[in-house]
Amino acid sequence: MGRLIARLNAGLRVKIVIIASLLLTLPWFGYRFVLEIEKLLRQGQEQTLIGTARAIATALNERPALFSQQASFLPSVQHGRDLYVYDLPGSITIDGHLTDWPEDLDAKMHYYGRQYVRFSQRPYQQGQTDFYLITGRHQQQFYAAMKVKDQHTVLRRSNSHQVDRNDHLILALTTPQGEFQRYLIALEEGGQTSAWIITDELDEPNLFSPTNLMTAQWQPRQDGYSLEISMPVSLLGQRLSVSVYDVNHDTHRDVETIIGTANANTASDLGTVLLPSPEIERIVKGMGHSSSRIWVLDRHQRVLAQSGDIQHSDGVWATSVRYDEEDHGLGSWLDQHLLRPLYSTFLLSEPVPFQDKPANPALITGVNVDQALQGRGYAHWRASTDGKAMILSAAYPIWLNDKVMGAVVAEESTQGVQTLKNRALEQLFNVLLAIIIIAAIILFLFASSLSGRIRRLRDQAEQSIDAQGRIREAITASTSKDEVGDLSRSLANMVSRLGQYNHYLENLSSRLSHELRTPVAVVRSSLDNLSMSTLNPEEQRYIERAQEGIRRLSTILSSMTEATRIEQSLQGADMEEFTLNELISGCMQGYQFAFTDQHFQVQVPKSPVRITGAPDFLAQLLDKLIANAVEFSHPNSQIEVTLSQTDKHATLTVSNQGPLLPDDMADQLLHSMVSVRSQAHQDKPHLGLGLYISRLIVDYHAGQIAIRNRHDCLGVTVAVTLPLRTATNT
Amino acid sequence: MKQIAIVEDEAAIRENYMDVLKKHGYKVQGYADRQQAQQAFDIKLPDLAIIDIGLGHEIDGGFALCQSLRALSPTVPIIFLTARDSDFDTVCGLRMGADDYLTKDISLPHLMARIAALFRRSELMSAPATEETLLHRGALTIDQNKMQIFWQDQHIDLTVTEFWMVYALAKRPGHVRSRQDLMEDAHVVVDDSTITSHIKRIRKKFAQHDAGFDHIHTVYGMGYRWGA
Repeated sequence: MGRLIARLNAGLRVKIVIIASLLLTLPWFGYRFVLEIEKLLRQGQEQTLIGTARAIATALNERPALFSQQASFLPSVQHGRDLYVYDLPGSITIDGHLTDWPEDLDAKMHYYGRQYVRFSQRPYQQGQTDFYLITGRHQQQFYAAMKVKDQHTVLRRSNSHQVDRNDHLILALTTPQGEFQRYLIALEEGGQTSAWIITDELDEPNLFSPTNLMTAQWQPRQDGYSLEISMPVSLLGQRLSVSVYDVNHDTHRDVETIIGTANANTASDLGTVLLPSPEIERIVKGMGHSSSRIWVLDRHQRVLAQSGDIQHSDGVWATSVRYDEEDHGLGSWLDQHLLRPLYSTFLLSEPVPFQDKPANPALITGVNVDQALQGRGYAHWRASTDGKAMILSAAYPIWLNDKVMGAVVAEESTQGVQTLKNRALEQLFNVLLAIIIIAAIILFLFASSLSGRIRRLRDQAEQSIDAQGRIREAITASTSKDEVGDLSRSLANMVSRLGQYNHYLENLSSRLSHELRTPVAVVRSSLDNLSMSTLNPEEQRYIERAQEGIRRLSTILSSMTEATRIEQSLQGADMEEFTLNELISGCMQGYQFAFTDQHFQVQVPKSPVRITGAPDFLAQLLDKLIANAVEFSHPNSQIEVTLSQTDKHATLTVSNQGPLLPDDMADQLLHSMVSVRSQAHQDKPHLGLGLYISRLIVDYHAGQIAIRNRHDCLGVTVAVTLPLRTATNT
Repeated sequence: MKQIAIVEDEAAIRENYMDVLKKHGYKVQGYADRQQAQQAFDIKLPDLAIIDIGLGHEIDGGFALCQSLRALSPTVPIIFLTARDSDFDTVCGLRMGADDYLTKDISLPHLMARIAALFRRSELMSAPATEETLLHRGALTIDQNKMQIFWQDQHIDLTVTEFWMVYALAKRPGHVRSRQDLMEDAHVVVDDSTITSHIKRIRKKFAQHDAGFDHIHTVYGMGYRWGA
């Protein structure tokens, strides 16, 4: 990874930030953790919900009165024949219009067609006569609604004694006391009906007696009529069948087709009707205050009672989240207006409104119900009918004499857990965001300071040694105790050691001369002693030669220490302001005297060049430059000396015509004891110190010296640039 | 007979110097280190001492010896004869009360001349100055015999080398003396910058008595001259 980043040519700061971006995986771990917690919560919710279902089931156990004797003990129920009474939200106005029934009326109505034909004069044809039926209850009133297909509605003639020679219905039922009872509802003019109790055998004359226990109204439809019936619940026992008698001919008025939910002739043939006992209602209502939707089912999975609304059943979890509390303050404002929308856009799925209506409200199905009816409590997750939410559904069996009589189904949405999870995630993300931002800032600052320090160290390291490899300034050792500090100290140490070594090298000549001086003194004093004794001229000649040699050796030794001496005396030199023109003109006159064979050409500006410096040393510098130039000049050539002034600098050039410099030697010539003199020039001792001393003097004046071949390649130019105003050397 | 003490750790040089001094009629004692010399000086002071700075293990043994000798006698002439020729050592040595500071590459005749000059100076110090030995240049008076220089009748305490330099400049005022000339006049073999620092020191010594002293002129590129 490091190599990859390095290849990207990134700085230390970028690298640290990239590596630190691993911090960004924290939210992922947090997210995983919260998901785990959510799983746990869900398991908890499952257990709680099963507990709820069990509690309710326990309340219903061993209470035979709660269950209808007829239906509940049937091995199976037949949908259509065995009727289900829906719980209606409000009372129904009996007017024949089905508008005040619940909207999903069409879905709930059961279709009675060919299967339910009890009698037909002619072979029954599909679509000839059929009907839809729904039964419902509100409080103590039983309702039925029908849509009947009838090609020709034949109504009861007014004032006719006949009530069954027209389109009519027969309601056969058992009373709560178990008596078999039949009612006839005849269609009359203007949507009116008349209700009759069938008291005796059908073929006896005084068969029908009018009753007002039952009310009904009908309305014509495109292909038949719709009908509403109402009667008190107290009339109805546990069995019921509804039959439509269709009459089509106005004249002979025979019943052509009978379609009924069940055979209406004997009580035992009737289908059952599920009328939940008020006791169950009461018990379940008591449970309705739990935050779950609860169904009580009979063993045929038919709903006996229901309480609660799935929209509000988010379990007990939601109440533990108090996210509606809002603080006032920047943090909360940020949270409300920036972070939460951001999270819900990219990370969280906020609970959304959802619909959950079972396809058949009368019949609750599901694995859990099956399991419960097998005698086992069970919970499972399912999607809501519109798929927008998850619903936890738990079922628990109701026992009666070791027999499963039904089941309690409790349902909760996961909204509570989801909300809880969302809040947890929000909190987590908030905290992590804060941590990451702070960590990123701290890391960035840390990396910046680190790279800043390293950069400073690099600059120091680069500045500490000049192009000639001399120590320019020492590295200030850092005092910090970390590795960069160590590095800084090592570098400082290294530079100072290098400086010491450089110093040693530069002082080598003076040390050497110092060490050589004693043996020279031995030789010299011995020779002097010798020369004082009387010798013959021959011996005297050798002595003199030896003395001459020793004298030369002394000169060499003196000049070897010259550079060191210059350095030392430069430290004590005083700066003063003077006119450089005069110094150069004066010196040049002197040189003209000294080097009579040489021709000098001097160019100095007319205006005085005032400079702050040590004139003695600058004169000495000029001495060295001129001596050098003279030495390397072709005979009879000119030496050009020019002085020019810019804004802040004075530039002095000494240019001679002579041999060119070897390549790459230019800078080295400014070092101690480097010389390019050919053997021809070795007539007097030279140590290559002239330019070195020049450089020392120029360095002392904070100037620059460069030695280059002339542009016209005729010789060599030495250019010295001096600042006009030197900082006082301390 | 004048008694001269030579303190020098290098036996060959010591012997050579002792030989030549004996030849010139001095009585000479040689000492190889500071302790020997110290013991000898405690018993009897020499008439003149020639001391090397580095003595055996002691890098600055000569300086210490010079100090203790100067403490014993304020007048005994002391010459440093050493291989060390740095500015710092020269200044140090002269400050410690030495009368001259010579480097070892001086030739024996020059050394003899210096010794003689010092003896002459110490002998003549008390004798009255005769007119003909006095050289007057304005406020400057040079007593050649005593090798003493006065500025505005105040004695300027110069070393022998410095004396010769001032003498060489003042003898012919207005004439430029190159550094080479001054070197020869003062019988020293040193480089140009040493001459420069000598001149600087001479100016300072004059300036101690007269802040406005400005009679030694630098002629850039040529040398120095005594200005009226």
